[in-house]
Amino acid sequence: MSLWLDVARVATALNVLLLLGLGYVWLRNYMQFRSKHTLGLSVFALLLLGENAVALYVYSWDEVLSVWFATAVPPEAWHAMLALHVLEFFALSFLLWATWD
Amino acid sequence: MEGVLWYVLTGTRGGANRVRLIRALDERPRNANQLAEALDLDYKTVRHHLDVLMDNSIIESSGDDYGAVYLLTEQARQHWDTVEKIMEQVE
Repeated sequence: MSLWLDVARVATALNVLLLLGLGYVWLRNYMQFRSKHTLGLSVFALLLLGENAVALYVYSWDEVLSVWFATAVPPEAWHAMLALHVLEFFALSFLLWATWD
Repeated sequence: MEGVLWYVLTGTRGGANRVRLIRALDERPRNANQLAEALDLDYKTVRHHLDVLMDNSIIESSGDDYGAVYLLTEQARQHWDTVEKIMEQVE
């Protein structure tokens, strides 16, 4: 049962790493270019970083919710949650691949 | 083209150096070696950035041979106000 939770933790942790990479490039460029475009990319990266950090916290450290997710959430619900996390991982991977140029 | 310029020049890791390349090519067309020397960049780095700029139709090459000279495309010229707006912020 906790296998699903582990996959969710790994996926959100990887998303955090990818977003740190994207945020690094975009924030550095924003410091240099100060354009609306770079601001938009930077804010996007920061907010999505927040989303994944919250998810990782909820799955791993929140005293009430981490136990709840580990024991009371049925596999069917995990499948749906994981689809979201894993799709986001692939989306961010491609974006980082294009951005790291 | 405008969106491409913003993303390629300000949304990616090597954007700032590509802006410098475009600025140099606007002054006069040059080959990869001359660009590397003028901008104090590694030759391989210059080659990579030139390929990205060509991929996005911002610059074109005068030929396929080793010393090929690069110049701005008509498309880039048409959107030069966008390029200028971006360049203002670099150095």
